[in-house]
Amino acid sequence: MSNATNNVMNNVTNEAADLESRYRSWLRWYPRSYRRAHESEILEVLLAGAREGRRRPEPMECLDLVRGGLHARMRPTVPSRDRSAWAAIKLMYLSAAAELATAVVVLATTGDVRSAIVMGDPGYTAARWRAELTGSFAPLVTGAVLAACLCLCLAWVIGRGHRWARAAFALVAGVNLASLLHGLAGGSAVYAQADLFAGITLCLVQLAAVAHLLHPYLPKVAALWGAGPIGPA
Amino acid sequence: MTKRAMQEATFLILTALAGGSRHGYGIITDVAQISGDRVRLRAGTLYSALDRLRLDGLVDVIREEIVDNRLRRYYRLTPEGSRELAAEADRIRSHATTALTRLNAATGTTP
Repeated sequence: MSNATNNVMNNVTNEAADLESRYRSWLRWYPRSYRRAHESEILEVLLAGAREGRRRPEPMECLDLVRGGLHARMRPTVPSRDRSAWAAIKLMYLSAAAELATAVVVLATTGDVRSAIVMGDPGYTAARWRAELTGSFAPLVTGAVLAACLCLCLAWVIGRGHRWARAAFALVAGVNLASLLHGLAGGSAVYAQADLFAGITLCLVQLAAVAHLLHPYLPKVAALWGAGPIGPA
Repeated sequence: MTKRAMQEATFLILTALAGGSRHGYGIITDVAQISGDRVRLRAGTLYSALDRLRLDGLVDVIREEIVDNRLRRYYRLTPEGSRELAAEADRIRSHATTALTRLNAATGTTP
């Protein structure tokens, strides 16, 4: 074999090795467990579809692998036929959006709240207002942001098929509802109606999600209730 | 509840597998051929779709082989996948028939 032929073959081998190594780097967007099961198979597909002489993946291929990797990390793994779980997960995303919207509404309506307080108490000082901001509003907004993150995390965990997270989310929704009722009992609705509207919307969305999450268990609960010694006749 | 229409990529993947079991790259080339080169699936999109279809029980893995030190996995349509594909094909045919009938009526030609 001539030197020229050897050089050509070495170049082809180097190009293929470079391309494979770069594909492997982009495949790191997938979870490790997924790569263990599918990396070799996906590499085979990528290399079979690559044009001869290429050393680098095309930009659209890279984007596709990033999207596929994020999809593998984030997507719910409950089957499509489990419609109540899917509906609940979508409502939980909506709930997270509502929590964030609540935080924005609270921040945007602080002026209304201050005006309402000053109208009722003309001697209300700037120092007391600052104390109110740091003592009440800041924790409220921080809480809403944390609650949004919690909703997203629980939606992800429920999507991965962990049933305990259903109970955890029901607890979160219960705490939110109790907090809303507590606020209403304390007369907070007179300050800013937008806050009240946001709070009620959030609670309704979360209760709808809880209803979907608990829907599969209702027949069992009904059966237990009906079969119980003190069940209704 | 109304069932959502199947995405085109999913429909084409199932159609490719209706012709027999295929490995990943085989599905990509078959989908390109079925769609007249209009749909070129990329690897990430293909495997996201296959994961979802396997989860829903519409396709499964029939065999694996090693070619040039790489795993090649062959997928096939399950009976449930065949039913879903047939139902979707019927739905598309019904819509296409209605569209053509109305177009023909509007232009005064008979189908």
